[in-house]
Amino acid sequence: MYAMVAAGLALMLGVARLINFAHGEFFMLGAYAFWLGYSELGLPYPVAALLAPAVMVVFGVAYQRTVIRAILPRSWHVQLIATLATSIVLTNLAIIVLGTQPKEVPTALSSRILDVGGFRVAWQRLLVLVSSLIIFWGLHRFVARTRTGRAMRAMSQNREACAVVGVDVQRVTMVTFALSSALAALAAALVSPLFNIFPDMGTALTLKAFAAVVAGGFGYVNGAIAASFLIGLTEALAGSYVSYAYKDAIAFLIMIAVLLWRPQGLFGRRIGI
Amino acid sequence: MRVALTLVTLLLAALSAGALSVGAQAPPIRIGFASAMSGPAAITGEGVRWGATLAVEEINAKGGIMGRKLEASFADNKATPGEAVSAVRKLADVDQVDVIIGQTHSGACLGAMPVVKELGVPMVIEACSHPKIRELSGKGGNEWTFRVALDDEIMAYTFARYMARQGVKSSSVLAMNNDFGRGAAGAYEAAFKKAGVTLVSTEFFDPGQPDYRPVLTRLKRANPETILGVILASDGAPFMRQFRELGLTQKVFSRGSLASAEFLHQVRDNPKIGDGVVEAGYWVVGLDPDWDKKWTERYKVPPRIHGSLAAITLKWAVVPAIEIALKKHGKADRQTIRAALKEVDVKDSPLGPIKFDDHHQAWINMILIEMRDGQLRILEKLQTSPALLN
Repeated sequence: MYAMVAAGLALMLGVARLINFAHGEFFMLGAYAFWLGYSELGLPYPVAALLAPAVMVVFGVAYQRTVIRAILPRSWHVQLIATLATSIVLTNLAIIVLGTQPKEVPTALSSRILDVGGFRVAWQRLLVLVSSLIIFWGLHRFVARTRTGRAMRAMSQNREACAVVGVDVQRVTMVTFALSSALAALAAALVSPLFNIFPDMGTALTLKAFAAVVAGGFGYVNGAIAASFLIGLTEALAGSYVSYAYKDAIAFLIMIAVLLWRPQGLFGRRIGI
Repeated sequence: MRVALTLVTLLLAALSAGALSVGAQAPPIRIGFASAMSGPAAITGEGVRWGATLAVEEINAKGGIMGRKLEASFADNKATPGEAVSAVRKLADVDQVDVIIGQTHSGACLGAMPVVKELGVPMVIEACSHPKIRELSGKGGNEWTFRVALDDEIMAYTFARYMARQGVKSSSVLAMNNDFGRGAAGAYEAAFKKAGVTLVSTEFFDPGQPDYRPVLTRLKRANPETILGVILASDGAPFMRQFRELGLTQKVFSRGSLASAEFLHQVRDNPKIGDGVVEAGYWVVGLDPDWDKKWTERYKVPPRIHGSLAAITLKWAVVPAIEIALKKHGKADRQTIRAALKEVDVKDSPLGPIKFDDHHQAWINMILIEMRDGQLRILEKLQTSPALLN
């Protein structure tokens, strides 16, 4: 979950040089889109799980063309306030429009348990793991092999030079936002059957994903993914063996230690996706 | 000329007397409701808004209180002490309410208490269960706060004895990492000691957590005979699903709203997931079937605990106090309502008797609720009294 959201955040940071503090709310909206398709419209799970990213692609494009296009040439202060404001507006809109009652979207796999020698895990978790690996592989191939992906990488290194040589920077930025939104929605469709869906679910996630992006090396997607796994693992181990109440604090302390040791982040040799 | 002047004077006097009499009858009595309307705990505030709206409409439809209509105002405390202060100031200074019902969350209650005292506005607490609230209210403390809800010290002693009677030898506590959870955890630590139940471990979690597996792993390793969860329905659903996923077999006792219609609504795909949970509380669906029906028809979801408690507090504590104030003093302002609250003596509210003691604590009934096959069943209804604390 952290990794997919962080990968999207890192893509946005790498390509647009902008930290989207509303990214957790993209995850929340993706979860509600999934709930709408699966619980309300009664679509089969795979269809609803694909509907959510499709809806969020449209949302991501709209967000890029309205909010982002307006704030991209402005200072980072303006960008920070604008994306934070979007986050607050989206959360409160969700409270008003969708209500505060948590939505449950259990699937057949979320209550079916795999038991191997006392190690018990819901099949849905295995689906999350396998799907994540496939999605990351696909993302890697897209960024490395396709024309748009290569343009994204180039923009992450020098946006102005890309514009000079004829790269359509507005289109590439739009694709980046569409892709990042779709990743957040896919993550939501995969993990929502295990948790609750509620308006505030994205707030803490943005912080964790941002921490992963920072620890992974500002805008370096593979670094963000690796750092997300590290944060998730640290949280799980801290929660299991030290203190569940302070697991977040422990994870963030480790992140601070990493940054003191490597201020450029774990994998941040250069800025680039 | 003199006759004309006299006539005009008489006419003006008659008009102003009429205006005064209309003025005395017409203004509504303003009731402020403070709860978490936004943030992670917004589900409680939404419930309070719904319950209050329904109750106020019900009272006004019957003509109000002795001809005076009620007018509800709402304020958001975000379930935090700091925001609770703003919520009280907004209700008292801007909305000019005569009495406040709230704050739903213990931290917010503790934060609001000094401000209601400073502003001189009575606050009737519908749901906060931190034991400190009773110590700080009434005699020798804050004369402006009254509490209908039972606190966790009162409930812990009774619940711990019940658990011991069931043969429970040990338990771990899993509580929300806030004033409600920490207050309850402290109360159960003392109560378990008194009842001869060994406290194996105490764990805290932040509300809204998606993943309980790490803490469940800790509980599994600690291996207590039972687990006492201080947990609300919104967190309870993912918690119980992951509890079953990890194959834990401990019996679960709870405080909060785990054994509730809200929880069952969330796990309606597998209602047996909560089988065997026994909850200590003071409100459950079924105590007032008419209310349940009205709520469900209006809001299309099961009645929520905090909204129902806010409505009960209004109907069976605040309304009687306003009636007393109007009868005795001919007015219902902040001072007279506060004085009248001390005289409230309701025998038959859905929660049991409501009469505030020296510490402004009402000793309502405590109920033990069991969840089985998607149904809630009252196991025991217990009268409470200060003697329980001995």
